[in-house]
Amino acid sequence: MRFGLITAAGACAILAACGGPETKRADNYSKATKSAAVAMLAATRVSGEQAHKIMHERHEGMESVGKNNKVIKRELDAASPNLGTVRSSAAQLANLSARASGWFPAGTGPDIGKTGAKPEIWQDQKDFVGKLAAWQKAVRAFNVAAKGGDVNAIKARFADMGGTCKACHDKYRSEMHH
Amino acid sequence: MKRPVWDLPTRLFHWSLVALIAFSWWSAENDELDMHVWSGMAVLTLLLFRLLWGFFGSSTARFTSFVRGPRMVVDYLRGAWKGIGHSPLGALSVLALLGASAIEVVTGLFSMDEDGLVSGPLARLISMDFSDEIAELHEEFFNVLLALVLLHVAAIIYYRLRGKRLVGAMITGRGEVEADVQPMRPGKWWAALICVAVAVAVTRWIIAGAPPFGT
Repeated sequence: MRFGLITAAGACAILAACGGPETKRADNYSKATKSAAVAMLAATRVSGEQAHKIMHERHEGMESVGKNNKVIKRELDAASPNLGTVRSSAAQLANLSARASGWFPAGTGPDIGKTGAKPEIWQDQKDFVGKLAAWQKAVRAFNVAAKGGDVNAIKARFADMGGTCKACHDKYRSEMHH
Repeated sequence: MKRPVWDLPTRLFHWSLVALIAFSWWSAENDELDMHVWSGMAVLTLLLFRLLWGFFGSSTARFTSFVRGPRMVVDYLRGAWKGIGHSPLGALSVLALLGASAIEVVTGLFSMDEDGLVSGPLARLISMDFSDEIAELHEEFFNVLLALVLLHVAAIIYYRLRGKRLVGAMITGRGEVEADVQPMRPGKWWAALICVAVAVAVTRWIIAGAPPFGT
């Protein structure tokens, strides 16, 4: 009995010891990617035709994100959602959100052309990149949930994802996005 | 002489609608769409109640007492009208405001926001493209409602300048009425309760997606 307890305590200690550095590493990793992303956003200033090309791609991409969201929401609101439809739109969202990292280089703001992207994006880049990353992470989580069959979990991840859209839009999107 | 003109349900309806239209506007402008949808559901309940109260309410709230033909409007403009409640011209304003509010609510029921995150409870019953068009109409038509509200307020200011106070009656329920005009016949309190209950029930049915059509 006592032996059992000691073993259990030891196992806990080992687990805890492993857990510690592991989480720290993950933390450092995400911090590192975030600062790399900020550096990228700032360093890759674009201009001319390239800027307009990216702005166009961004516009089309975000519109496509909205379309896929609509398709998903209509299914999730139904009494018996077609999960095949949800999955294919979730996969498209995952694809789009991964591409979004390249949608906001410096030099693609409203001073260059018509866009809903506010100048604040490049004034508070660290915060913006954090919010963009939060969305990308939420899309991945949603995509994983969509592959399963638990409709309530899918709905919950969809709601989380919507929250990350709104968090960014509230601060960084102007009313010019139509 | 001050006499009852508007019953309590009609006054509560009026000021609740004022508050909710303002809130709906604010929440839409600030992208608080969850709250916007709930505000719309509340307006839906109010309008359903007002529709029922227009048949079962007190005399001045009933449509039969104020929906009149164009000849009465002409008579009124010539100064040859005497009565209690909505004047023939004011009645047109009431109908326009109720109608425009109803159009906003119904289009809202079928709308979905462009981000695909928030939608009216009936948006799923129609195609996505049609829903997009209705959402656009919902946004555009608010300007018409706003213009009607401004006209309504302007008319009240105009009457005030000519010595007729209208706002007080909508607050206290009592206003100046000529002595030889038939007084307001009040509605029954239990009729008001039934109208509220029916309005809430229909709203809940719509929120549920209007089964069996919504399933």
